[in-house]
Amino acid sequence: MNPPPGRVGLHRSLTPYVWVMPAVVLYFVFKLAPLIGGVYLALLRWDGIEPATFVGLDNFVQIFHDKLIASALMNNIKFAIGTVVGKTVLSLLLALLLNQGIRGRGFYRTALFTPVVISMVVVGLLWSWIYNPQFGLLNDLLRLVGMENLILDWLGGTKVALWSLMVVEIWKWYGFHMVIFLAGLQTIPEELYEVARIDGASRLRRLASITLPLLQPTMLINVTLALMGALNVFDIPYVMTAGGPANSTMVMALHIYIRGFRYGKFGYGTAMSYALLLFVTVVAGIQMRLMWRPDNQ
Amino acid sequence: MSAQRANSHPTTGLAKQGLRPPIWMSTRLDRWLTRIGSHLVLVLFTAFVLYPLIWMVLTSLKTTRDMMANVWGFPRTLVWENYVTAWVGARLDYALRNSVIVSVSTVVLVTCMAGLAGYAFARLRFRFATPIFLLFIFTMNAPDNIIPLYVMLSKMHLTDNLLGLVLVLAARGLPLSIFIFRAYFQSIPHELLDAAKVDGCSELSAFMRVVVPVSTPAVVTVAVLELVGSWNEFMLALILLHSPAVQTIPIAIQSFFMDYQTSWQPVFAALTIGSIPVIALYVIMQRQFIQGLTSGAIKG
Repeated sequence: MNPPPGRVGLHRSLTPYVWVMPAVVLYFVFKLAPLIGGVYLALLRWDGIEPATFVGLDNFVQIFHDKLIASALMNNIKFAIGTVVGKTVLSLLLALLLNQGIRGRGFYRTALFTPVVISMVVVGLLWSWIYNPQFGLLNDLLRLVGMENLILDWLGGTKVALWSLMVVEIWKWYGFHMVIFLAGLQTIPEELYEVARIDGASRLRRLASITLPLLQPTMLINVTLALMGALNVFDIPYVMTAGGPANSTMVMALHIYIRGFRYGKFGYGTAMSYALLLFVTVVAGIQMRLMWRPDNQ
Repeated sequence: MSAQRANSHPTTGLAKQGLRPPIWMSTRLDRWLTRIGSHLVLVLFTAFVLYPLIWMVLTSLKTTRDMMANVWGFPRTLVWENYVTAWVGARLDYALRNSVIVSVSTVVLVTCMAGLAGYAFARLRFRFATPIFLLFIFTMNAPDNIIPLYVMLSKMHLTDNLLGLVLVLAARGLPLSIFIFRAYFQSIPHELLDAAKVDGCSELSAFMRVVVPVSTPAVVTVAVLELVGSWNEFMLALILLHSPAVQTIPIAIQSFFMDYQTSWQPVFAALTIGSIPVIALYVIMQRQFIQGLTSGAIKG
């Protein structure tokens, strides 16, 4: 009646592989394979139509002679610093305010989180209109409060355009980071504050010696997410400025897209993707080293 | 909360009073000012988030002249034609259908595959479990290498094709979803499964009859994550989908904007149509949305 024990054993030991197989196959083919196979593509000069020529490491050498890469990378770095600082400071402030047991906490939380669910395309186009020099909300607001001297072409000036995009990125995500900070604040034991209060520690003192140190792991998560987002940013500059004016909002992902799909430089674009991946990995590594405090885990 | 705590320590409160006589007044005033100040800041930043969205809807219903003369307020007359222009001009009938197909397929595919794999990683013992799981976790944050991805998909005849986008989105969503399912299944008590096994259930039927019915929270988390992600996805759709018949909402809106740069209101109508479905779902299921969308950052 029963199958021989050996068969059962084999059947049993293979079962788990059947369970993970669909996920592994799909992930391998559509995520890992392009990442691995692209290495070969990076060694070719190919526009996707004509026969490809093998050029060895030429594409990687060319990266160092591409002037636009330097400025695109610089823009990514500026964008990263601006948005990481903006997002963390603003979201931490709001999380601290909400965490005092304030009335309407649920409403504020839900409302502030709303932009997270909206498409970046919608957000980008909406803000393009807000920034519109003639009819936009922002300049109209400045006119209403009598600050005409601040009126600008927010997306048309080479000095200001990247900053305008940073505001949009911060606008979309500060509610998200606030929710994560709130979750972190909830893990800090109340007793610590009790003791500090009995000892007569001021509010600022409690913030500096209890809240901020114990919030370190949460801070690490928030900074990492914001940093990775900024170094790979694509949607906002694509939709709002297309990298202009005069490449002042050109970022790496957009540069790769334009080189690859507009100019048909498949090999060179792929090589740049790997360079960006390497750069992001190194930055992430440095940032983890700087912020990681094992004693707080 | 803080008032309660102050009252629970009357002695320390008195001691302080002794030091600085009118302190009870100033702390109460201080507390009141803090509260008002906090609300002011919160209201300001909430308005900063909400008003542009309200403005989007208001402007979508205005005439051009109304929009210019009356930037901030309600429309004088409701111009529903803007919605007709957007619907026809952006081919939103196609776009909505395509976005629904892409989102639903991605959610179903990821939930099934990640559910099975997550269960295997949580409950079944096999030799390469840890290496395979770590492979998912370590590579999950690597951004897609778009050019090789495009070349591969075009060789497979999966460009300009909804299936191609779904497969890529599903692959991208797997690691985090597996992680969420694994954590959830590990929290299900052993006894529940052992009972099913004693009753002679196979692993699969135990999973279907015992595990799946109690896994709604994890399924909802994964579904929300994949739904919002695939509904809003822009970069991959831009690269993979070209003809209007297969474009999703973000692509359709973007190209509509390129054609109608000068007339705002139909573009606003398109933006409104594109975001209303997600916003409506969000309003209905706030808690699940917030929980699902932050699950990558807060341990699930």
